[in-house]
Order: sequence, then structure tokens, then C-alpha cells
Amino acid sequence: MITEKLMEVRSEIENSVRALLARPVMVTELDVFALPCGCNGMTVNIRGLELDDIEVFEEQMLSHFREVASRLDIPPSFIFARLIPGSSVVAAINWRVLCDRCYPEFARARGKTPRPDIYIMHLERRGDKARKGKMRSGKM
Amino acid sequence: MKKKLYVPHPGHDDGLKLLISDAKRDIYSIFMAGSPDYIGTGRSNMSAPEIADIRAQTEYAHKNGVKVEIVLNSSCMGGRHLTPEGFNLIHRYLGELDGCGVDTVVVADPFLVETIAKDFNMRPVVSVLSFVDSPEKARFYEDLGASSIVVDPDVHRHFDVLHAIRDAVDCELKLLVNEGCLYQCPFRYAHFNFFSHAFGPHPRPNVLDDYYYERCILLRIKDPRLIINSPWIRPEDIHEYAGITDVFKIGGRTHYTNWILNCISAYANESYDGNLMNLLDCPKDLKDLYYIENKDLDGAIDHWKNCGTVCTDCGFCRELTERTVRVYTGGGTADERLVPWSEVVGGSGISGTASTTGTASTSGAGAADTDKTAVRA
Repeated sequence: MITEKLMEVRSEIENSVRALLARPVMVTELDVFALPCGCNGMTVNIRGLELDDIEVFEEQMLSHFREVASRLDIPPSFIFARLIPGSSVVAAINWRVLCDRCYPEFARARGKTPRPDIYIMHLERRGDKARKGKMRSGKM
Repeated sequence: MKKKLYVPHPGHDDGLKLLISDAKRDIYSIFMAGSPDYIGTGRSNMSAPEIADIRAQTEYAHKNGVKVEIVLNSSCMGGRHLTPEGFNLIHRYLGELDGCGVDTVVVADPFLVETIAKDFNMRPVVSVLSFVDSPEKARFYEDLGASSIVVDPDVHRHFDVLHAIRDAVDCELKLLVNEGCLYQCPFRYAHFNFFSHAFGPHPRPNVLDDYYYERCILLRIKDPRLIINSPWIRPEDIHEYAGITDVFKIGGRTHYTNWILNCISAYANESYDGNLMNLLDCPKDLKDLYYIENKDLDGAIDHWKNCGTVCTDCGFCRELTERTVRVYTGGGTADERLVPWSEVVGGSGISGTASTTGTASTSGAGAADTDKTAVRA
């Protein structure tokens, strides 16, 4: 059942972040979502995490998040942390598959914080993907 | 110990019936929010009972020998109550509550204490959000007409101050036993002012996130000592307050009725076997993170009664945290278990979080630990 898988993933994310930080964090809720625009993905509501933690352990967290996302068949093309605006408190980590309408909003943004409440950990630009695909197929 | 328990009521008719049918003999009074359209409160509202509901529920409670208290303890009304329109509106609402036969009204604003004492039969109760933490403040409110004062929990473990307040006033003193907020909380004023507007009369701010709550939770996840030294009173320890009061208030009107009944049972019997977090009104999120066996805290009150509360010089609560706090891991899966907090922080103990919480310990329990033997394991 998908809910059992989600329970395991919730616990696994919690444990992996705890192991990295050597202190408790709590994944209070893990949601899979589908929006009317076409965006879809997963939200990990987390407590006990700050932006500093992400900045220090970004590489390790990303590697784990990518692995989890692919196991759930959610392409890890866009991973970001949602912050409480004006603070360093992390409210959630999102894996989002952007729809064609929302993609340009983020793709055109510069830097890691296009909005005060968003810290981009990973954004796969569609050109990048196409280029990578061509490189792999030897067409470049 | 013979005592009067004020217990939370979410506000709906079924909730009241359940509370009374299951715990009538232990309840002295219920308390619930009024309508946020007139005056806000210090909590989110599960319901906004109209006057007709309050009248019916008051009749039902009285028929069962239970008193009724309405909570209107907004810590900020934006000056509206001092305008002619605001005054008339609030005065009319208070009159309607009075007409329902409500026994007491909890308010935080001195103006409302005086108005209720002067103009109505129901009695004004000074809210915990008036922050009465000294004999001087207590006397001030009594002189305004307060019939009861809910003492600021920050002095729950300062027995000298509690006795001084008791000596200073004749009115009833009430202790809120399970609030669970941070000791000397830096967010307290701002957070309750925010609540007062967010759950008060229109216009209500349309906020993105409750910064104060999120920050508070973050602090306590990083350092569970902040849960241990928050000034809750365990059911087993309320007899220690016998010389100060016999009136105790259980917080939690945003919880389910079963949760409230569990708390009533614990405080009525002055004993609880289980996770202390199950009794604390706030922060309810953390009951799925931490397990603190209530009975493991037996005897801690002996230290706290004489505690100077200079936490940087004392390792008592640190040591207690290391020994009693356990963390849920694998929650919701077949591998769910509890591990000691010190294990999660990699054996580094409390000092593992010292740098991130601004605390000053350099070793697990701190070099200046005192009186570790005061707590029986």
C-alpha cells in the first residue's frame, strides 16, 4: 500500500537528517500532492531544522532526497526548502515536478532564494536535461 | 488533596455532555471561549458558541453542579474597547453573557476587569495573560475587583513569590498546571498579541505561518531541556501548593475531549503513569517526538522548590533531561522504538546542542551540576 511506503519514507527521512545533524528533528507530516496547474510532488513538513543546517549538509541531504524521490517515482527535478519568511526556520522540504506554466517562474529566477520563503536546493533546468540526454546519446 | 479543578471545554454541546457524564464529580468548573467577534482569546477557537448555546450549556452545567467560565483573554484589543462603538459592543456582549448565568469571565485587560467587577453579576478572573508574577501586581488586580487571579506560570517554581502573592491578596489564586510554554518565553507577548488578533474580531490578519510557534518548537526539538524546565506542575506535585491555593486550572480547550478527560483523571487522582507530554497543553506536536516517563520525575519538585533558576549555573534540568527524555524513532513503522535522547545526539549529551541554543555547558551535565541526587529515578 502506498501509505505504508510513505510511513517508511517519513521515518527514513527523519532518521537520515537526525544522523547528519546528530540531534532530533521531526517530520511532522509527509504529503504527496497534485495541483490543478499540473505541478505535483511531495512535501515533507519538518520541525527542528534551520537554513544553516541545510547549507552545511546540502550535498548529503540532496543525495538522500534524490534517492528517496526516485524510489517514489517522483522525478527529483526541483527540490527546495520552504522557510518561515524573515527567519531561518525551515517549515518544509518540497520535491516538485513543475508544470510547463510554473517552470518558467523558477527557471528565470537567479540565486537560491527567488522568494523570501524559498531556498532552492536543486533545480534541473530543462535545457540541462536535454543537453545531458544528448551528451549521453552522443549527439552533441 | 481536596481541590477545585477548572477544566477546558472545546465549546460544543456534545463535548460538554461527555465531560460531565464522565467526570462530573472531579469538575468544579468548565471554561470555554466566547465569541471571537467581540473579544479574542489566547488560543485558537475550536468553536464560537453563540449566546443561545452558552445559555443552554450554562443551564446544563449548573443543573449538574458545574460552574461555567468564559474566556475572553485577548492580550491586545487594538484600543477598540476604548472607542464608543467598541465599548458599547463589548458591554452589550458582556451583558448577554451575564444574562446567561455565566459564573466567571477570564480577561487579560485591566479595563475589562474593572468593568466586569463594576457592572455585572459574573465575576472577573485575571488571565494568565495578565502576567501576574508579583504581590504588587496581584494587589493591583484585586483592587480593581478581581475575584480570582491565574498566576503567571513563570513563578510556579518560585515558591517564595507564590507565598508572597498569597499573603498579599485575599482573592482566589489559580494555577494553570499544564501549559507547557517556555520558561521566561521571549515570544510570549508577541505570540499572544498575534493570537488575539488572529482569533479575535475582524479584520483578522491573514498570516502565512505562525513564526512564534515554529520557532518555539524548533528550540525545544534542539534542546528538550526547555521542556523539562518549563513551569508545568505534575499531578503528583500539586499537593506541594496546598499552602498557596486549592484551585487548579487544566489548559487545553483546543484538544479532543478524550485528551481532556485523561488530564482530568490524572490531576484529580494526583497521579499519572505515562508520557508527561500527553498532559501538556502545548506543544502538542512534540508528544510524537519525545517520551518522558512522568514517574521518572518524582522528587524533582524538591529541587525546583529551592531553585535559583539561574540555569547557566546549575545542571539539574540538564541532567534530568539526559536521564528521562527518550525520542521516538521509526514512528509509524514496524521498527518504531524509543531511544535515549543522548543516543540521538551521538552520545554528546546536552552539550551537543549547547552551541546552537546559546547555552553554556561544556560537559554532558555541566561542571556546576548541583543536587543531582534530589531526583529519584
